Amino acid sequence: MSTAIDQQVLTFQEQFRRVKDEVSKVIVGYGEIIDGVIMSLLASGHVLLEGVPGLGKTKLVSTLSDVMHLKFSRIQFTPDLMPADITGTNMIHEDAAGEKFLEFQPGPIFSNILLADEVNRATPKTQSALLEAMEEHSVTVGKNTHKLDAPFFVLATQNPLEMEGTYPLPEAQLDRFFLKLKVEFPTVESLHTIMNRTTKVQEPKVNRVLGQGEVLEMRKTVRAVPIARPVQDYAIRITLATHPNPPYAHSLTMKYVRYGSSPRGSQALVIGGKIRALLNNRLHVSSEDIRAVAYGALRHRILLNFEGEAERIDTDTIIKGILEGTPGPS
Amino acid sequence: MSDKQIIIKSLERVERRIRTNRFLKELALGATLFLAFPLALKLWDLFDPLRASTIAIIAGIWVLLFAAYVVSRGLRKATLNQAAASIDKVAALKDEIKTAVWFIHNPRPSAWVDAQIRRAATTAKQIDVDMFLPRQVPKTLYVAAILVLLFVGLNFVPLPWNHNWLALQAAPAFNLTAEEAAILKQTEALLRKAEKLKPELAEKIEEIVKQLQEGKIDAGQAAQMLEALQNQLDEGNLDAASLREGLEEMAKDLAQSDKLESTAEAMKNKDLNLAADELRKLAEKLGLNSPDANKQMQKSLQQAAENPRLGLEELAKLLKEAAESLKDEDQEGAQQALDEAAQELDNLQDKMQTQDLKNLAAQQLQNLQQSLRQRQQAGAQQGRKGQQGQQGQSAKGQKGQRGQQQNSDEANGQQAGGAGEGEPSDQLGQNDQPGGALPGSSQGNGLMPSGNSGADAPREGAPTSLDVKLKQEKVKGVEDEGTKEENIEEVSKQERSRLDYRNVKSELSPAQKDLLNQDRIPWEYRPLIKNYFQAIRPPAKK
Repeated sequence: MSTAIDQQVLTFQEQFRRVKDEVSKVIVGYGEIIDGVIMSLLASGHVLLEGVPGLGKTKLVSTLSDVMHLKFSRIQFTPDLMPADITGTNMIHEDAAGEKFLEFQPGPIFSNILLADEVNRATPKTQSALLEAMEEHSVTVGKNTHKLDAPFFVLATQNPLEMEGTYPLPEAQLDRFFLKLKVEFPTVESLHTIMNRTTKVQEPKVNRVLGQGEVLEMRKTVRAVPIARPVQDYAIRITLATHPNPPYAHSLTMKYVRYGSSPRGSQALVIGGKIRALLNNRLHVSSEDIRAVAYGALRHRILLNFEGEAERIDTDTIIKGILEGTPGPS
Repeated sequence: MSDKQIIIKSLERVERRIRTNRFLKELALGATLFLAFPLALKLWDLFDPLRASTIAIIAGIWVLLFAAYVVSRGLRKATLNQAAASIDKVAALKDEIKTAVWFIHNPRPSAWVDAQIRRAATTAKQIDVDMFLPRQVPKTLYVAAILVLLFVGLNFVPLPWNHNWLALQAAPAFNLTAEEAAILKQTEALLRKAEKLKPELAEKIEEIVKQLQEGKIDAGQAAQMLEALQNQLDEGNLDAASLREGLEEMAKDLAQSDKLESTAEAMKNKDLNLAADELRKLAEKLGLNSPDANKQMQKSLQQAAENPRLGLEELAKLLKEAAESLKDEDQEGAQQALDEAAQELDNLQDKMQTQDLKNLAAQQLQNLQQSLRQRQQAGAQQGRKGQQGQQGQSAKGQKGQRGQQQNSDEANGQQAGGAGEGEPSDQLGQNDQPGGALPGSSQGNGLMPSGNSGADAPREGAPTSLDVKLKQEKVKGVEDEGTKEENIEEVSKQERSRLDYRNVKSELSPAQKDLLNQDRIPWEYRPLIKNYFQAIRPPAKK
């Protein structure tokens, strides 16, 4: 039994590595971002990539879809984008006998991997069109609810809110993202590599290395990893520390936070920890795994109060304080 | 052995090591903190020596507290979870053992859990406790060791007032001053020299001082006991001055004979051993003397044997025997009597030497008593200081009144004392009148301060007075016409004062005191003398 599990773990690691290697052929210098994106996919979650335009966010997502045998679609969010443009709509059709009937025309959301590019450029109404799909994996149009194929994985990119023509994502939608990853400007070395790869005649090609079934199997493997109560308790205490209410509240939280993370935050910590444990060839989740995923899992789930906004407090600072102030599992 | 057992066993080893290290650490820390206390106490002791009872109580409490601390620390056990957390941390196992322990205690049917426990068991097997949790000698243990050394060192600091607690030494309840110790040493030495007479006195003094130092008796009681010893020492005292005078008188008589001149000279010089030798030589050569010389010698011996002083009766008797033998021309008898007289002279020499030693010892004892009483009074005065502080103004008022009283006493004394200023009167205590009671008043009798009635006047005790009231007795004179019956006071009896001597330290040397204390009329002869003068008293006119 143990051998089978070990094999399962090895397979998981191998598949993960293959996907990452393929993506890394195109995307340079974003190892942690790539890991986060793949982790979100395997955790049955969605990922929000934030960064200024031109850093390769869209390229990353499209490359990821290229390396998987999965249905991929892309929506470019614009201010005039309507919800129906995402979900699809009932259209009037005429049959051979000339009878007219309504037929649902699926929108781009009906795919396995959905790239919601520059999601914060659309109005909140349109953004909310994703809510049901992201959580329920279904789309309701009119009186009919349409199931989405598994896996359903939304990769949203957004520009920093300071940029002109952007709408902040609703809190409910933000909470549905498994991780929020910040795409920083590449280093000089990375830029050299990017130049070398993208300014030549032949751009690097990627191979499809992962299919739908394999993704689903990997998801099962992730869920099977056991977590001890003390470690889980640690994850919960970290989540509770994001709330400005005693007894777990951190001093920074009490000062700058209006609302803390929802239980989805704890789920993200635990599942992210499990994936990390597997990647590190462990059959258990450690407190270190929890800490490692804490930034991505919690930064978009913490809502700052007026004082925090006024002082331009970064939620990462608060999370850092929480991690430092929360004692490890005992 | 199952995986669970492997993990548990490994964790038990880890727990033992953690406990040992923690115990050592806490013990060292505790010892450091605990040792600081006796060290501070010892430092205190160097400046203000502590008594054995105080040290014993503090040491007892210290030992109890330290033992309680050690036991409480020793009984503390770490849980397996704590052990797992520790080994996870030090071996960077990323919560592997901790997770396994949790699953062991909270089993669930999962192949993944079993696999995790199996992996953890494999890891646990490889844990080298000595490597990850080596036996550590805490740094504080060195500090504790230094403190111990310091404590031991302080005990052996070669200061005269330092007491080595490790040798169960502590400050005695009562400390003899250097002067008192010297007196005591001298007294003991003197008594040991005079051991033939009073072999047990030196031991008794030692015992008294020991009791005093152990706090079993106070300084006053010690002084009383020393006084009793002094009385014992005084029993059977020879009147050394009378003996010397008697010997001088005898020497004067013996010097009239040429043959006895050397003996007389030696006796005059108080070298009785030499006198004895001379007498022996004379006895040996008795046959060579001319009859006139023997006759002269017989006369001198006869004269010397008359009216012997107390203590010289035996010598006088032997000299008389020698004289009679010479008179009877019994040369052998004369020789024998002279030899015995020489032996008696040797004995007298011994007795006088012993008596001198005893006198000196008695004097030293008296000094020691005075010193102890002074210190007791000083202690009592210190004890009263607090009360006096409370009484404050009223005490000052009384002092002023007393000063006024002293002034009036002084005036009275000057009126009544007159030329007797500064000399103690024999009538002291018999007369209740101010002038008579304090002749010369406060200026010279040593009992009262010299008239300073202000706040700066030295503190003084109550003036001493004799409570002795001699009985009146009828004088039985020769009944005659015109003789009037007269009542006079009875003869004073020799007895010790019931009052303590005032603690005035004499500046006189023992020899000077001895000289001053010479009483030319021995007590034994006083009734006789009194009777004599009563007998020759002229009859009173009616």
